[in-house]
Amino acid sequence: MKIENVMRIAPRYLLVMLMIVVALGGTTSCKSKKKIAREQAAAEYAARVDQAKKDLTAILNDATDWSLKEKEERFSTIKSWNIQDEEVLKLIDLVEDKLARERAEADRKNEEERLKKVEDDRGKAKASKYASIENQLLSIAAAPDAATANAKINQALQLFATPDAPVLIIISQAGGFNDYDRPTTIKRYLEYLKDQKVYNNAIEQVKYDASGKITELELIKK
Amino acid sequence: MRKITILLAVLISLMAGNVIKAQDISPERKQAIDSLALEKVRDLSKYVSIIGSKSTPWSEANRVIDRAEELFMQGAEMGVSSLYQSDILYFKVRQYFERLMRLNYDRVEIEWYKIEYVSDLQAQPDGTYVGVITIFQRFKGFDAEGNLVYEDTTKKDITIYVKRKETQIGGRLIGFWDVLLGDVRVKETRK
Repeated sequence: MKIENVMRIAPRYLLVMLMIVVALGGTTSCKSKKKIAREQAAAEYAARVDQAKKDLTAILNDATDWSLKEKEERFSTIKSWNIQDEEVLKLIDLVEDKLARERAEADRKNEEERLKKVEDDRGKAKASKYASIENQLLSIAAAPDAATANAKINQALQLFATPDAPVLIIISQAGGFNDYDRPTTIKRYLEYLKDQKVYNNAIEQVKYDASGKITELELIKK
Repeated sequence: MRKITILLAVLISLMAGNVIKAQDISPERKQAIDSLALEKVRDLSKYVSIIGSKSTPWSEANRVIDRAEELFMQGAEMGVSSLYQSDILYFKVRQYFERLMRLNYDRVEIEWYKIEYVSDLQAQPDGTYVGVITIFQRFKGFDAEGNLVYEDTTKKDITIYVKRKETQIGGRLIGFWDVLLGDVRVKETRK
């Protein structure tokens, strides 16, 4: 009777024992996987810390050949890692300042270049617009003798409404405000070019009358 | 006494106002005025050489004398020196240019060089800027055979006056810097 009972209950015990063994074995395996993952994460973090230190130091010491955009992108990536290492955090502060200064300088240069281009374009447009008058003024200054200069003066005067047409010469410009030399007339200015043999101005503005003759010439010192 | 005090106070405040106005000029504008004054002296240098040149026609020389005279303040004088006399003679600028035109040589070479400020333009209480520019003049006189018969080098100081003025042109008010040259003083003459 006892033997029969034992034989009947044994498979159940075995099953329970088996389940316990399986359960215990599974837990141990899960624990070791987490440990590996933690170790892997720690190694990855340490590698990132090293990489961040290396890259940030290189940016700080200008020891890279990256463009400003590349440096900014690298910095942004490093910052997104949220590294809590004291040295890295300090480097991030320093590099952030450096990149901000570089960006401000680059923006300033870009703006300067843009304004210079605008000014150059405007100058070119103006130069081509007034090229024929400029050439006449230059040819008087470059005339080899007084007779040639006088002939060129007479020719140039034909462009003007009167030999007394005013000539204004800007000596400096600031904030939309012009400083002029003492005003003169076109006849005197052309004679001045003949005497001094130098033309170092540029035409800033020309005013015409209804018949297309020049009534006022505004020059600017080069 | 009280009236005199008030008058003095008004005068001082007016002068102070002018000083402030004069000092308001930015370094860039001041530099442009400095350059303008130097340019006027260089212009004079060229005029002197044209007037002195025996190849300049009489009518041309007279026209250039008019232009040269316009560079100066009324009553300004020009100093003349020679290696043969210790005295320095002073002439009104027009008289100086006319003498220069009639110098008793067959050919004359006059060159001005080392044109530079010895005393920067300084704002005065009335708003005028005053400075001194020094020049060295190399003079050579030749006879009919082309022989050099006289030469000297003279250092001269030119007082410069620059004042802001306004004028109407084409219905617009134009502010300009009027540069006028004052006396030209001989400082040194040597061979």
